[in-house]
Amino acid sequence: MFKKFFQQGKKEQAVIDKTAAHIELLIAACKGFHEGLIQEDKSRVLQVFHLEREADTIRREIIAAIYEGAFLPYLRPNLCRFAELVDRVFDDIEGAANHYSEMEIPEVLKEDCVRVAFYNIRICEMLLICFHALIEGNELREKTLAVRIYEKKIDDIKFEMKRILWKLPVQGFWEGRILAEFVDGLTAISDIVEDASDYLHIINVSMK
Amino acid sequence: MKLSEFMTTHIRFVDSDYSLYDAIEQMVDRRIRSLIVRFPGEPPEYGVITARDIVIKVLGKGIDPASLKVSEIASRPVFCVEKDMEMFEAARIMDEHNIARVFVCDNGKIIGVVAMIDLMSAALIQRARGE
Repeated sequence: MFKKFFQQGKKEQAVIDKTAAHIELLIAACKGFHEGLIQEDKSRVLQVFHLEREADTIRREIIAAIYEGAFLPYLRPNLCRFAELVDRVFDDIEGAANHYSEMEIPEVLKEDCVRVAFYNIRICEMLLICFHALIEGNELREKTLAVRIYEKKIDDIKFEMKRILWKLPVQGFWEGRILAEFVDGLTAISDIVEDASDYLHIINVSMK
Repeated sequence: MKLSEFMTTHIRFVDSDYSLYDAIEQMVDRRIRSLIVRFPGEPPEYGVITARDIVIKVLGKGIDPASLKVSEIASRPVFCVEKDMEMFEAARIMDEHNIARVFVCDNGKIIGVVAMIDLMSAALIQRARGE
């Protein structure tokens, strides 16, 4: 549907290409974060900052192209909102990377953090699959369900991590706060990706 | 998809002399359907109690769970599989042995559990990914 009606214009095609690139960059950021956690390599995790800056530029270009007249007016707000949500995921990854650079993950939480980082890659890959399905005019239902499954999986781990976190002795206020915010940021990514996939669903429904 | 990708790694353990009522409380509080029972020094080392065991073997028969130890209703041994096993292979084992979960073991140590709901989720994800 999407392809049939909206992909003919150059402006539309540019937005579609940039949005796909935006999500691909997000996957790259999640992969870098995951590898950095496994290797306990802070410099690898901090490379997320460069990707976030690049993503910021892409987001501006997407929104500018939409405001310059790409797509029918009724689609524009949801497409802009989608780009902003992808950008919010970058903000969360950047925040988590920033916290990670200031702390050491307690041994008891390491495995869970790596696991959540791995699921973050998977859920972002699924978002890209959803986006391609929208463009190709394929059914989104199965894809958005997969996003929700990953989100639930991460949620389950988050609650277990919080139980551990509450009992964990810390040296001071800032150590506890940085650790709590790191865990919050890492586990919030899936919530935003889920919201973003909901917007794809809304765009899809609005074209029917 | 391999089991290690979708297994649940937070597993609750209780010792074999643990009160069944305390175990039930843990299961209710944490919303979990099974607990691993440790039998230290009594191989096989691990058993399992499930909500099904508790309902059928104890509550359904009007037995007071506070009067029992977990060891009295635990099923032993647990079904252990490798973490690199494919999901569909685990499904085949569960079907063949009529069990609702398999435990993922590494060097004789339980590191995860895969239940029917995990297999269903994994299968749905594979469909969505077009694999």
